[in-house]
Amino acid sequence: MESSATAQPGVAPASASSTPAGKALAVGLIGIALTAAGILVSGGSKVAFAWLSAMVFWIGIAIGMLLLIMIHHIFDANWSTVIRRQFEHGVSAFKWLGLLFIPLVVASVIEPATLWKYFDPNYDLANVGGHGTVGEDVLWTKKSGMLNFKFFLGATALSFLGWIFLASRFRRNSFTQDTDGDIKWTKNSRVWSAAGLVFTALTLSLCVILWVKALDYHWFSTMYGVWYFAECVRGALAMGVLIMCWLTTRGDYVGVLNKNHWYSIGLLSFAFTVFWAYVTFSQYFLIWNANIPEETFWYNIREIQASTGEPNQWKWVGMLILFGHFFFPFFGLISYPAKVNMKWMRFMALWIAAIVLIDVIYNVWPAKKEDTGDPYPFFAIHQLWTLTAVIGVGGVCVWAYLKSFATQKLIPIRDPRIGESLTYHE
Amino acid sequence: MAASNHGVIATFDTAADIFHAAEKVRDAGFKNWDCITPCPVHGLDGAMGVRRSKVPRFSFIGGVIGFFTGMSLIWWTGAVDYPLIVGGKPLFSPMFAFPVAYELTILFTAFATIGGMFFLNNLPMHYHPVLKTDHIVRGLDDKFLIVIEATDPKFDAAETKAMLESIGGSEVTEIES
Repeated sequence: MESSATAQPGVAPASASSTPAGKALAVGLIGIALTAAGILVSGGSKVAFAWLSAMVFWIGIAIGMLLLIMIHHIFDANWSTVIRRQFEHGVSAFKWLGLLFIPLVVASVIEPATLWKYFDPNYDLANVGGHGTVGEDVLWTKKSGMLNFKFFLGATALSFLGWIFLASRFRRNSFTQDTDGDIKWTKNSRVWSAAGLVFTALTLSLCVILWVKALDYHWFSTMYGVWYFAECVRGALAMGVLIMCWLTTRGDYVGVLNKNHWYSIGLLSFAFTVFWAYVTFSQYFLIWNANIPEETFWYNIREIQASTGEPNQWKWVGMLILFGHFFFPFFGLISYPAKVNMKWMRFMALWIAAIVLIDVIYNVWPAKKEDTGDPYPFFAIHQLWTLTAVIGVGGVCVWAYLKSFATQKLIPIRDPRIGESLTYHE
Repeated sequence: MAASNHGVIATFDTAADIFHAAEKVRDAGFKNWDCITPCPVHGLDGAMGVRRSKVPRFSFIGGVIGFFTGMSLIWWTGAVDYPLIVGGKPLFSPMFAFPVAYELTILFTAFATIGGMFFLNNLPMHYHPVLKTDHIVRGLDDKFLIVIEATDPKFDAAETKAMLESIGGSEVTEIES
């Protein structure tokens, strides 16, 4: 396997059988079944929060991969050509992610305030430590033009349809070019990237505002869309590194990748570590500095129990994110030898993927409050359903990736930049 | 006479020639030598056995100094030298010192990078013996040059000239200091 891949790196066929894909699907379905069983243990609302966390995590990675494909095309980049093909497989998950989003909508139809209290103007805020109803809340009525079920449904559906469409364009263009080598496919991808980047930037911001930020609809943050953008790209780069490790270990990428590809993807991971920190700190700092109650409460519930004044578990999760999401990857990725060491990069990628998930949990879960107004703690039985949901949705995503992987060549062999990519030099 | 010379220079015709010649000079164990090319030759650093630049170490140290300079600047001015409560905030907090520390991290990193590069390259250098040779004119246009300096422990004027000729160098000449 290794020798054949080395001899003809450009035409080594993707030799994955359907078995790994089948296994991934089985794992995914078991995860989904376990999550569903969690409803009997923890109740529907908590499982809905767990499911939302997993969806935001995996949709973020898929969006990140879509963005990386578009960034590749818009810059007419060369080095990333050999890796782009893996992202093209990854974005095939969008239609399944759209399908897996439906339970959240169904749950909201059955019980409007399951996740998003802004769906239900009659919701009694006394349940979460407030007073009056959502409909009497001026911070909702002023935002109700956007924060309502119809807008939510429209924006979510439009976003998924757009992402699925863009993914299908890039996949068709790249896969068809393998057979006919026509330059028009590259040009078509470039046109769709120009439009798609604007569309994806707007829709990912809109979606994360409606799905996550508006869980606490009182809150204001102009950084939120950018924060999710940084999260998406960091997650996708981490997955890209993991795929590179997998295909190198398996032998497919031997002779295809050289040190400079590792260095470049490591450099991007490093850059987005700094970018994430810049955005996340800016959000915190502006709120800290302005010190307005309708903004600071978001951080307060993630630090102090309102009922007792004691620090809560989320404070330590926040510290973990500060040091684990910025300082550790920053120093872990800063040096050249670190970026070109596959074992270390595999560890860093796993670390970043895990901490992206924790950051998503940190943003989603504290919106689930007890009647004292305090968030449910981080360490609790219901967090198990976040884990099973991540495995469930992840299994489906990996299945979609592997299913597509088996049908196409390892790298886009007739891409106009493939030669430059294979001989890429810093 | 040899001791006062700068070294020996040789001309090569193509990028491939100098690439392989550089590998041989590297394998012969020379340390104080260089290639002069009219265009970048990819991979030549590897063929010469040049290790990665040490400039990033200067950059890193510069960045760390910048960060702590920014933090201490805000701490000293706001909490020590002229304590003044603004907006009900504490006299010092890493929060509002962070933008300043962050900017100075970048600024000092840039300074240290430029400074470190100048230092490691012995810049500014207003005179270099190679510029006096006739070879350099073509070396900036279409020829590829290798210079082995007399300070190299393995340098011996006659032997080194013979070695450069044996690996395909032409117009092998000693350079005056």
